[in-house]
Order: sequence, then structure tokens, then C-alpha cells
Amino acid sequence: MDSDNDRAILRARDFWGALVLMSLSLFFLWRTGDIPLFGGNRAGVRSADWYNSAAIVPLGIFSALLVLSTVMMTVAIRAGGAKTALTGLGIGWNRLEAIRFATLAMIMFFYIAGLVPRVDFILASGLLITALTFGYHGGYAARMILAAVAMALCGTYALAANLPQSEWGAWDDDSLTACVWTALTIWVGLNSRGDKVLRAVPIIAVVAPTMLVCAMAFGFRQNVPNRGGILFKQIEYHYYVTLKPVWGN
Amino acid sequence: MEFVFGQLSGFGAAFIALVSDPLTYAYLVVSVFLGITFGALPGLTATLAVTILTGFFGNKIPLDYSLIALLGAYVGAIYGGSYPSILLNIPGTAASAATAMDGYPLAKAGRGGEALGLTTTASFIGTLIGTFALLIFVWVLLLISKNIASPEKALLALFGILLSGTLMSEDLVIKGWIAGLIGLAMAMVGLDPLLSEPRYTFGWSYILSGFQVVPVLMGAFAIPQVIDGMRHMPPAQAMALKGRVLPNLKTVRKYLPTISRSGVIGTGVGALPGVGEDVAGWVSYGVGKSVSKDGAKFGKGSLEGLLSSETANNACIGGALIPLLVLGIPGSPPAAALMGAFKINNVIPGPTIDPDIILRVVAIMVLASFTMFIMGLFTARIFIKILHIPQTVFLPVVLVLTTIGSFSVGGGINDLYLMLAVGCVAYFMNMLKYPIAPLVIGVILGGLFDETFRRSLLISNGDLSVFASRPVAAMLLVLNVTLILSQFPVIKRTFVRLKKGTA
Repeated sequence: MDSDNDRAILRARDFWGALVLMSLSLFFLWRTGDIPLFGGNRAGVRSADWYNSAAIVPLGIFSALLVLSTVMMTVAIRAGGAKTALTGLGIGWNRLEAIRFATLAMIMFFYIAGLVPRVDFILASGLLITALTFGYHGGYAARMILAAVAMALCGTYALAANLPQSEWGAWDDDSLTACVWTALTIWVGLNSRGDKVLRAVPIIAVVAPTMLVCAMAFGFRQNVPNRGGILFKQIEYHYYVTLKPVWGN
Repeated sequence: MEFVFGQLSGFGAAFIALVSDPLTYAYLVVSVFLGITFGALPGLTATLAVTILTGFFGNKIPLDYSLIALLGAYVGAIYGGSYPSILLNIPGTAASAATAMDGYPLAKAGRGGEALGLTTTASFIGTLIGTFALLIFVWVLLLISKNIASPEKALLALFGILLSGTLMSEDLVIKGWIAGLIGLAMAMVGLDPLLSEPRYTFGWSYILSGFQVVPVLMGAFAIPQVIDGMRHMPPAQAMALKGRVLPNLKTVRKYLPTISRSGVIGTGVGALPGVGEDVAGWVSYGVGKSVSKDGAKFGKGSLEGLLSSETANNACIGGALIPLLVLGIPGSPPAAALMGAFKINNVIPGPTIDPDIILRVVAIMVLASFTMFIMGLFTARIFIKILHIPQTVFLPVVLVLTTIGSFSVGGGINDLYLMLAVGCVAYFMNMLKYPIAPLVIGVILGGLFDETFRRSLLISNGDLSVFASRPVAAMLLVLNVTLILSQFPVIKRTFVRLKKGTA
């Protein structure tokens, strides 16, 4: 612990943490009630005794969690965590940190939930690498927001236009992602004069996901996200139709 | 003695089989290089190296190659952490935190080359000590463990989670226990192992088979690292490497007792369930400081201090594999990731494990330590260049790596949602200073605990004395209870008072 101030922030957060844990323990204890404990009857078949019930271990775990979170709450209250829990100090509010976390959460959500299932993996990951490196390299809030907006734009479109799994193969979201990635790359290029790291971003953004997806698909012969993506489909076609026969023969 | 020779001949056969396969070298060089790179980059850890490679190599290539890749990365990463510790004063991994205490002052004094050379040698000898212990003790314990039944297994799993929670907590011990309980709770999701009763599935068929290990590992170790590391950092100024890296044999001979002592300590700490290389490094450093004639020089650029921690953290690897292979209980967080690799290959570590796998693990460890030694001595300058890569460049690539690795193991998008959810929980737990290792160990051991605990009760018709009536079970029960009681403030205060009274 660095200082008393850090400890005060931690205890205030512990107060909230303990509250969440207590609520979760109580919720899951209530849900454990659905699992037969004393020889329940399922479809005419009598299940086991209490000591063999599927509920016995979870019951112990969530009860222990409830007890420990109560102890945690007591420790936090004794250390003054409850008093400071709703103050700026207690929450540990920091504007830049809040922007950093919120934009990162947005980027990750739209990448995993929106882009990876629906958009070509190389395009989605290229955009992600460009957005993250550009957005967070210098620590500027405006860049973080721009990076998050770029990901959110593509992710929201992919989710809205091609939500059901039957439409994941469509290419309209791939095209949009490619356009946004290109635009962001140009923007990075314009804003990276004198910055070696940012100048290397386009190369990393293209090479890293392409190598990874090709290694996984053709080296390890594993499934990769969105095989029907606009770029990967072409790569796969040429691998099997153009390249493989060359060494196959 | 005959037993030892028997073991050595078995190891020799496995070693020759590996050495005569050209592919072994390809996997070794790549994995050790990747491991050292992961260790050397502050922000990436040994656990993350093993976890990410599990996603790539876990079940996609034959088990032998997969083990070469993972153990090579493990050995390399623990050693690689010493680079930033010595040259930047920033530990590359938690395991090398103690290394920075003396490594950086040595580099500042213009002895960086000497420090790196000796660190490499000590890590190499340390790994060999741990591996030798693994070869010998794993068999002794395997013979004993044949008599271990369900009550002992349940208590041992509980002890692993409790001990890991106790020793890994940075703040309050209770937070480590809560993390372990959250892990155990996560392991309860899905069909229960004895009656196939669905638990907490909320009608979602994906989780009927429980949480998959690899997405949980990726989420717990990679996502918080990415969230935390994506921030502006001023470029690190590494000390220039002065002096030759190749160690002086005389110096090595002089410090051999320190290296041997630290190797034994590291192996012992590693063999404790759930306790990692960082604890081994610190314990060995502390012991070194108290027994050394030059203990006062520790922290001011002492070679003895440097070697104490660096030997122990690498020796810990062999030790951590002992409970993993004998009992199916990981000895450290990277060993937990390794257990994930065993699981997705349908290999169940424990008393029923194929003895040939153990011999191959030992042979791979020896080869990996040689590869690390050679790479460390002759390619050190390449790894020093890696230190200059900012986190904002490699962490986005790590996120892409974890995404594709996690997806390919299960082959479904749901694994990615699980990874993200676990990652968010782990990030907040990190923020509140809850250790993540007990959570992961809880997830991995939860199934074993549930099954063996209930089986014990089933055999005894619900008689709880089954956990105290067998000698080993009684001993483990006492250990568990003592561990819990020792953390009670009243008991702690009584001990302090008794200590003062005796003094």
C-alpha cells in the first residue's frame, strides 16, 4: 500500500465490493434452492440423499462466501470505508482514468461481440490494433474517444445489420470496417509525424492478424472466426486452389 | 540407489527419443524465445505466456510437442523476467521482483553484463535442481498417492486453494480466500459430475458442460493485463549493458553453495500447492539475507542476493510440477495454465497419469533449460532491444492472440463472451487487490473438490468423520483448520504475545 490515502480508497471500494459479493451470495443461495437437497423427485426418479446432493457443495461455497463478504464489510466499515464510500475519494474518481476505462470497455465489447463473429478477422483485428495503439499510446483523451468511436461505429453496424447467426457471412459490415480502418490509418499517418511507434502501426495491424489467422487455419488446421470474411475467403481459396497444388504435385 | 538409477535410465531413454527428433529443436527454440520475450516485456507474465501458448499449441499438435512448447515458454518466461529487473529496475514478471533489488544496483555500477551472465547460469542450474527433484520425488509421491482416496483428495484440493489464497494476497488474506471461493463457485456451473444435475445454467445450453478452462485462463490473466497496460508510459531507459555476459567459472564456483541452497528452497516452495515463483524468489532472498555473511549488502548490488532469488524462481518450476503431476493440483499459476493444456488433451494429472509422460516432462525441462542457457548467454542483446517496445504496441497484439487462441480451442463464439466476462471480473478484482491465481486454481480444482467431497460422503453414508478417520485425511484436515485459524486476529495476537513472553 503506497499511502494512507490509497488505503482509504481501497477500503471504500472494499465496502462496495463486499456489498456486491453479499448480494451475489444471497442470489446464488436462493438459486441453489432449485437443486434438490433432501432426496428430490425428478420424473418419478428419487434422487440422492442430502450428502450426495448436487446442492451440498454450492451451498457450502455460497454460505462461506456470504460469511467472508460479511467479514470484509465489517473490516471496510471499521476502517472508515462506509463513510467515504460515496465521496470522490472513496470512489477514487479520476476523469482521465474513467475515460480510459470506458473507451477500452467499449472497444473490447464491440470487437468481441460485434466484429469478431461477423466481420473478417483480419479487418476486425487490424482496426482493433490501429485503434488501441493510436488511442492509448500518447495518453490523450481525444484520441481514446476517436478510437472508441471508430470501433463502436463498425461494431454497432455489424450488430444492427447482421445480428442473427444466419447473416454473419454478409460482407456489408466487412466493407464498412475496411473503410473505417483505412480512414483511421490515414488519420494516424497524418498525426504521427516524428513518432516511430505510430508509423509502425499500419504494418503491425496488417501483418499480425494475417499471420495469426493463416497459422491457425493452415498451420494448425483449426477453426478461425468468420471463415467467410471478405479477405479470409480469398486467402483460403487461393491457398487450396492456387498454392497447395503447387507443392501437392 | 537402484531406484535412482532406474529413474535416470528411464529419463535417458525419454531424453534420447526427444533429442533424436528434429522437430523438438524447432519447438524448443521458438517457445523458449517467445517465453523469454514474454518475460522480458514488463506487463506480460509467465502465466500469460503459458496461457496464450495453450490456446495455440494446447490441443492442436501431438502432446509431446505441445508440452515442449508450453514448458519451454514457462522456463523462458521465468528467466526472461530478469532482463527488465536488472536493466530497468522494473520486474518483467512477479517472479523476478526480488531480482531487481540487487540486479539494478549492479547494472548501475557497470556490472550489468556480469549480472545477466550469472543470472542466466543460476536460472539454468536452478531449473536443473527443480527438475532433478521432480524426477525423484514425483515417483516417491506417486507411490504414496496410490493410497490417497477421495477424502484426502478433497482436503488437498481445499488446502491448495486456501494456501494459494493465503500466500498470494497482497492486501488482506480474506481476499485470497474469497477469490478462491469465487473460482470454486464458477466450477459449480454446468452439469454436476455425479448426478448430472444442471446447476446455474439459466437455460443456456453452452454452459451445461461448465466453464471451459482456456477461455477462463485467457480472461483471468490476459484481459486485466491489457486493460491495465493500455496507458501512456514514458519510454523506459534501460541501462547500457556493460561487461561480458559469459560468466566467469571461478565466480560461479564461489557462489555454488548459494545457488544450491536457493535451488532447494525454490523447489520446496514450488511443491506447495498454489504458491508461485514470486513467493519462491522472496523466500530464498529472505533466507539468503539472514544466513549470508554479507547479508547487510543485500539490496545494494549483492551478487549473492541476485542469485538467491533468480535460482529459486527457476527451481520453483520443477517443484510446481510435482503436485501437478502427482495430485493434479497446480503448484503455481503457470502450472495451472499447464493443467489447462493437459485437460484439453484429455490427460488427467494425478496418481493415474501415464509414467512415460512424467519422464518426457523431465526430459523436456532439461532440454528447455539448456536452450534457455544458450539463448541467454549468446542472444542477450536481442532481448535487451525488446525491452524498448512500448506496451501500447504489443498489448493490442496480445488481445488478438488471446481472441483467436480462445476461439480455436472451443471453436465457438461463446468462449469469447466467457473470456470477456471473466476478464472484466478479474480486472475489478485486481483493482480491489483480490489475487487472481486462487480464482483460477479454484476453477481448475472445483470439479475435483466437488466430486471427491461428495464421493467421500456417499461412501460413508453421510458420516463426516470420514475426513478425520484416515491418517492422511486427518493430517490434511488439521492443516486446513490450522491454516484458517492462523489468520484469525485473536490467534495472531496470542502468538505475538507468546513470542514476546518467550523472548
